[in-house]
Amino acid sequence: MTTFVHRSPMPGFGLSLGITLSVLSLVVLLPIGALLLKGAAFGPAGIWSVVSTERSLAALFLSFRLALFAALFNLVFGVLLAWVLVRYDFPGRRLIDAAVDLPFALPTAVAGIALTTLYAPTGIFGSLAKEVGWKIAYTQWGILIALIFVGLPFVTRTVQPVIEEIEREVEEASATLGANRAYTLRRVVLPTLTPAALTGFALSLARAVGEYGSVIFIAGNIPLKTEIAPLLIVIRLEEFDYDGAAAIGIAMLVISFAMLLAINIIQVWSRRRISHV
Amino acid sequence: MSSAYPTLTARRFRPVTQEAPLVRVALIAFVILVLVVLLFAPLIAVFVEALAKGWLAAIESLAHPDARSAIWLTLTVAAISVPLNAVFGIAAAWAIAKFDFRGKALLITLIDLPFSVSPVVAGLCMVLLFGANSLMGGWLVAQGFPIVFALPGIVLATMFVTFPFVARELIPVMIEQGRAEEEAALTLGASGWRTFLTVTLPNIRWALLYGVLLCNARAMGEFGAVAVVSGKIRGQTATMPITIEMLYNEYLSVAAFSLAAVLAGLALVTLTLKTLLEWRHADQLAATHRH
Repeated sequence: MTTFVHRSPMPGFGLSLGITLSVLSLVVLLPIGALLLKGAAFGPAGIWSVVSTERSLAALFLSFRLALFAALFNLVFGVLLAWVLVRYDFPGRRLIDAAVDLPFALPTAVAGIALTTLYAPTGIFGSLAKEVGWKIAYTQWGILIALIFVGLPFVTRTVQPVIEEIEREVEEASATLGANRAYTLRRVVLPTLTPAALTGFALSLARAVGEYGSVIFIAGNIPLKTEIAPLLIVIRLEEFDYDGAAAIGIAMLVISFAMLLAINIIQVWSRRRISHV
Repeated sequence: MSSAYPTLTARRFRPVTQEAPLVRVALIAFVILVLVVLLFAPLIAVFVEALAKGWLAAIESLAHPDARSAIWLTLTVAAISVPLNAVFGIAAAWAIAKFDFRGKALLITLIDLPFSVSPVVAGLCMVLLFGANSLMGGWLVAQGFPIVFALPGIVLATMFVTFPFVARELIPVMIEQGRAEEEAALTLGASGWRTFLTVTLPNIRWALLYGVLLCNARAMGEFGAVAVVSGKIRGQTATMPITIEMLYNEYLSVAAFSLAAVLAGLALVTLTLKTLLEWRHADQLAATHRH
């Protein structure tokens, strides 16, 4: 007879799993269930009728598009930063290594007002940009900067341990066989980093899609132009339009999970690819 | 003689596992430039703006009743939600690391779920489940125990967004440590609780502290989820981040940035402690934090 749990002399299985499942249900599963139940009541057609309005579509498209751009920037910059931190030695390296996690520790509202102050036309960077006719704060550029900020550490932190593990002998072997440095980096080093980099990319993307606090200050929040999807949910809730808010919330959940699933599939594929080499 | 030879070659030929010196310098400069513009400048801006009208104005704005009640509320919310999440994290890690059972992978996925849900959507879920016009919420309000627009809602929303922090930190550490030490203690006659307190807890204390540290930073700084469930009632349900938003929107820059500076200070303390843990106790943290 198969049992649910293998017999073990260790005590506390019932207690620990009981606490885990109770807290998980109360804090996470029941609330998400409430949202999904609401969605089931609307049906796909009902959700689409709310989401297909010009304003909702614009907000969703803006959120996912800018989140994707920010995550792509963080993917490239994160790998570069991890490489520099592991392989190069320079004064202040340890300070920078510690500071990379600042976006995890700094509250988003604080980051939001600070970035706005810097990148507004009156701020240090904003006034510099203004001279070349570039407006950053209160445009989509401002949103992009805020999203890059909140997602900055993810890729670096997932890739860094992998770079530390790379055996230099592999790179030497590649060089001995006649590859130049760029070829070695592209064909030997990068493929081993891909799965970890994709993990960081997915985390950074998920974070950017849902980000609210750091964005609303710098965005300008003009409907159809700089209004992100989470803000539209908040606006609907303030109008007591719970159905409208729920429909956009469900759309965000569904698209996020579809994207994360796609990244997961690419990851499995890339992992299989290196293990075959 | 033998020492002169390598230095000579090192100067003329670089190792094949290195990039050209010029490339290296350019990459380091680029990385530092981006971090200065994106990371360090905002941090400095917070303190500069807070002190724009001097120390006195900054401290006075923190002594304002609204600011004080916001600080008190944020401390209260963290004091409730962080220990609850720590207990949950320990329980989840114990169940997952020490036992084999069906559905374990699903359980781990569900614990990570809050990381892929927008905080605003998390707040929305709380409002739908516990709001005054929901079934459960209506009943609770009738009993004189409102959840949304009150402390319990803020705590629940905070717990949702900080949910995976402690568990994620403890699970890999406890899996790596295995259960041999606990089994030895049990064989020698220790009770379950005694085994946990004297064998397991000392083994996981630094990892636990690390998770609690990150959990606390996020709990004190959470904005999106709390903005939705708190109702933003000044002096009652406005946490520090919510009060910062209100003050900023009222153009009270010094007051907003003074509160922000307190949170930024907390972030710096968090980063410092976290870095110390990574340097001193790396062997007892999850492998991804060892460097």
